[in-house]
Amino acid sequence: MITMKLPPFFAILLCTSPFWGNAPVTEAIWLNLPPSGTKCVSEELHNNVVVLADYVVVSDDHSSAPTISVKKENATHGQFAFTTQEAGNYLACFWADAHNPSKADVSVNLDWKTGIAAKDWETVARKEKIEGVELELKKLEGAVEAIHENLLYLKSRESEMRIVSEKTNSRVAWFSIMSLGVCISVSVLQLWHLKRFFQKKKLI
Amino acid sequence: MEMKQIYVLAALLLSFVARISSLSITVNDVECVYEYVFYEGDAISGNFVVVDHDIFWGSDHPGIDFTVSSPGGNVVHNIKGTSGDKFELKAPRSGMYKFCFHNPFSTPETVSFYIHVGHIPNEHDVAKDEHLDPINVKIAELREALESVTAEQKYLRARDNRHRHTNESTRKRVIGYTVGEYILLAAVSSLQVLYIRRLFSKSVSYNRV
Repeated sequence: MITMKLPPFFAILLCTSPFWGNAPVTEAIWLNLPPSGTKCVSEELHNNVVVLADYVVVSDDHSSAPTISVKKENATHGQFAFTTQEAGNYLACFWADAHNPSKADVSVNLDWKTGIAAKDWETVARKEKIEGVELELKKLEGAVEAIHENLLYLKSRESEMRIVSEKTNSRVAWFSIMSLGVCISVSVLQLWHLKRFFQKKKLI
Repeated sequence: MEMKQIYVLAALLLSFVARISSLSITVNDVECVYEYVFYEGDAISGNFVVVDHDIFWGSDHPGIDFTVSSPGGNVVHNIKGTSGDKFELKAPRSGMYKFCFHNPFSTPETVSFYIHVGHIPNEHDVAKDEHLDPINVKIAELREALESVTAEQKYLRARDNRHRHTNESTRKRVIGYTVGEYILLAAVSSLQVLYIRRLFSKSVSYNRV
C-alpha cells in the first residue's frame, strides 16, 4: 500500500498523536528488536473485545521496507484491528527476518488499545453532533462505565477464586483423613495376610 | 541499503477467560520497554506483576528487578527483588525512557505490566495557546484521576491472575500428590508382603529364617 522511508524523528512525530491538552495519550511502547530473535507481547482478552493496534517500525540504519499488507507481511508501519471471537491469550510477535543480516537494532512502536480506549470517538462526535468540552465529558463518562464494569468483573473473579479455595481446603481435610484410613486398612490387610500365610505354612 | 523486513504475526493462544488486562511480556534475562515522554514534569505511573510463577519448593523466590532509566542514561527508579509493585515518578526531562525487567534466574517469567504517562496542562500552557480553556485543565485532571483508578484495576486484575495460577497449582497438587501417595502406599505394602513371603518360602532355604 504505502512505501515510505522513515527517519527516526519523523517516525516519532508520525506515530504519536498530537497533544493539544485534550487528546488522551495512549499507551504506545517501543520495543527493541535484536537482529535475531523474537519479541512477543501478549494480553488476555474476553470475548467480543475490540482490539486496535498501530505499529511503526524504525530501523537504525535508515533502511526502508516496501509494501505493507495486513497483519502478516513485511511492514514498516501499519494498523490492524480485530474483534475477539473467543476468550483467550492474544499474542503479537515481532521478529526481524533480514535477508542480508544487519548489525543495527530495529525499534518497533506498538500502540495497543483494547475495549474503551479503542472506541472511535470521531464517529460518535459526528453522529451526535457534539464537540469540544461535551465530547471530552462523554469520553470521561465512557471511562467511568468501563471502571464500573471492571469492578463487577473483579468481584465475580474473586468469588470464583473463593469457591475454588474453599473446595481445595475441604479436599485437603478429606484426603488426609482418607490417607490415614488407607494406611490403617493396608496395614491390617498385611497382618491378616501374613498370619494366614504363616498358619498355612504351619509356622504358627 | 540492506532491506530489513519485519513480519508481524498475531497468533492466538487459547488459555482462559479474562476481561481487562495489561500487556504481558516474557522475561528471560533482561527485557526492556521504551516509552516516550513529551513534556518535562509529566507523571509516569504504572505497575507490574509477575504472573507465571511456578515455584516448586520454596515460597521465597527473590522476584525480578525493575529499573527506570531516563533519556540521559541514569537510573531514575529502582525496585529490587519483587513479585509485583506499583510505581510513580515525575519525569525530570522529556525524552525516551527505558523500563527494564531483569530476571536473576534462568526460568523465564511472564510479567504483566502497564505504563502510563500523564500530562496536565498548566496555566502557562493555557496562556500560550488560545485553544486551551481553563476548563481543559480541570478535565485533564479528571481524566488523570480516572486513569489512576483504571491503572489500579489493571494491577488488581494482574494480581488476581497470579493468585489464580497459585490456586490452580495447589488444587492440582492436592489431587495428584494424594492419589499418588495412596498408590505408592499400596504398592510398598504389597512389596513388603511379597518379600516376607519369599523369606519364608521353601525354595530359598528351609533353615535360614
